[in-house]
Amino acid sequence: MLRTSVRLAIRALGRNALRTILTMLGMIIGVAAVMTMVALGNGAQDTVEQDVRSAGTNLIHVNAGNYTRGGEESRIATGLGAATTLTPADAEAIGRTVAGIKRIAPGVRLRGWIASGSHRFYGQVLGTDVPFASMFGWHFDEGRWFTAADVAARRPIVVVGRTTRDQIFGSGAKAVSRTVTIHGQSFTVGGVTDTADPDQIEMAFVPYTALQDALGIAYLHTITIEAVLAGDASRIAAETAALLRSRHAAHINAAVEKLRRAGITGNQMPQFGAGAAGAPDDFTVKTQSSEALTKGLYTSVAAFVLANMPKLDEVNLAEMNATLQRARSTMTALLAGVAVISLVVGGVGIMNIMLVAVKERTREIGVRRAVGARRRDVLVQFLTEALTLSAVGGAIGIALGFVSAFGLTLLLDWPTRTSAAGVGLAFGISAAIGIFFGFYPARRASRLDPIDALRTE
Amino acid sequence: MAAVPLIAVRDLEKTYAMDGPPVHALCGVTLAIQRGEFVAVVGPSGSGKSTLMHILGCLDRPTSGTYHLDARDVSRLSDDDLSAIRNRQIGFVFQGFNLLARTSALENVELPLLYAHRNRIAPAERRVRALRALGAVGLADRASHFPNQLSGGQQQRVAIARALLNDPAILLADEPTGNLDSRTSIEIMEIFQRLNAQRGITIVLITHEPQVAAYASRIIQIIDGRLVTDLANASHRAAAAELAGGGHG
Repeated sequence: MLRTSVRLAIRALGRNALRTILTMLGMIIGVAAVMTMVALGNGAQDTVEQDVRSAGTNLIHVNAGNYTRGGEESRIATGLGAATTLTPADAEAIGRTVAGIKRIAPGVRLRGWIASGSHRFYGQVLGTDVPFASMFGWHFDEGRWFTAADVAARRPIVVVGRTTRDQIFGSGAKAVSRTVTIHGQSFTVGGVTDTADPDQIEMAFVPYTALQDALGIAYLHTITIEAVLAGDASRIAAETAALLRSRHAAHINAAVEKLRRAGITGNQMPQFGAGAAGAPDDFTVKTQSSEALTKGLYTSVAAFVLANMPKLDEVNLAEMNATLQRARSTMTALLAGVAVISLVVGGVGIMNIMLVAVKERTREIGVRRAVGARRRDVLVQFLTEALTLSAVGGAIGIALGFVSAFGLTLLLDWPTRTSAAGVGLAFGISAAIGIFFGFYPARRASRLDPIDALRTE
Repeated sequence: MAAVPLIAVRDLEKTYAMDGPPVHALCGVTLAIQRGEFVAVVGPSGSGKSTLMHILGCLDRPTSGTYHLDARDVSRLSDDDLSAIRNRQIGFVFQGFNLLARTSALENVELPLLYAHRNRIAPAERRVRALRALGAVGLADRASHFPNQLSGGQQQRVAIARALLNDPAILLADEPTGNLDSRTSIEIMEIFQRLNAQRGITIVLITHEPQVAAYASRIIQIIDGRLVTDLANASHRAAAAELAGGGHG
């Protein structure tokens, strides 16, 4: 019965092809606008996610030692200077205690020669952990990143940036399985990262455990934390600082006591009060945005800036992207407006044409009723017709949506991504419009008195 | 003929509530029609014969009175039940043919099977039965023609084939020859008489033309909503003989 109804509907619509297409125009434009809108939204979201991931705006850096002074000129120290108190156990405790952390990687740093045969390169070596590569969304030109097993077994494996590779092995040369010497130890090249970051590209990355062994230390220089949400970075930084303060309390007190005994007083004495407990810190915790903002500023100026931007971590890259987003959301709003208006116009068009069809075919309705069609048979027939009309319009609109999304990317360079969900939404909307606007005319047809209908000329 | 009548109406009244005073289209019609009869209902326009036909055809319900169709009281049935009765027990033939435009003769004939909800029929079977019905009215070779490619007489024969498709008990014909010339009218009457004689189909023919009513074996006259005369017409006209003889009258 359904197949028959659809066939009947298609034929009825085909009889007035031009009228049918004109009626569908509103639907077509509306559905195409919906498709384009969703594709634009998807594309914009992809871009933001990509930017955030590659820039790592959600990162928080914990560094061992605290060299903070009251001001560059004042020579008033508020930190304890260098420290060897940050440990893998601290990293583990942060990861376990502080909520909202996505990834965490302990780190050990070394500036020194990276050598292979007669070629050598002075660069920075970072001893880090497995999650580090994911924080920056790295891929690998060749080879791979090291594994948790490599870290646990303290294996001397090194992953290098492209510049490092070029300097040591020659431009674009194969590097995997070759050996380099770092700090007098042999490391096997495990992979080459595709990072484009100007710092990372000339670095070398090894398991932090292996670098600890090479340096003969058990502590860490740094811990890198990735927050799940960018807006959470400040809170995580504060909680991390509080946790480390309590874990390091004994060390800090001992260090202060030692300074006192050595007779350092006045300006030379680290300021009490920098830490929440009234003691100076032996570490610093910085969110990436504060780092970016205060880079190269005098400490006093930096402190002023930070003090006056309490919501700094909300001004992250994702938010800066919002400027770009605003342009897109204007377009999205415009498209949404076009979509709503044309869908309503399209729906009213369908209702209108169906009312005309009911009037034109009153006699046909009478005949069908006379040979035994029930009211609901007539209702279904006209509803199917309206639905077919809107579905065909929707299908054309979807095709047009693909074209316009592609066109936006091609002509305006706006990222778009068409998705099954977008197509589903567009099709759902057209079906809903067909049913909603088709119901009244169909009901009207089904309510016709068969005798009056038969008498109609 | 002593069996339960196929159609039994008693004290049938139909009143239309218009803006002005109510219009009494039927004022107490009582009538019984046996299975296999060929009855003509005659009367001037406005006499109520069309109203009677609409009620007999289950297109309308009486204001009061009862209507037993095949011993079943149908005067108070729901719209859906009346639709089912129209589908299975009644075949309509109209003055204006009422074929669906731009639809082939075959598909026009198939139409009632589309609404045979209690007894679904596969499309292939529909086709076979529609072709057989077209054959019965001599139009098997016109199955794929559209109504506008057929003459008036041919269109009416397609309409008759459609009316016959569900093997109805009653064929209700409302002025079936009103739009046809006299020769074609006789051809249609020939089909009616043949169906009545060979297949025992009960025919109720509504007409205002006495010479058309003359083909029926019983003639009922209605004037002003009342049954005036109800006479057997033993010496009815024989359409087949008239056609063979090349004339009529």
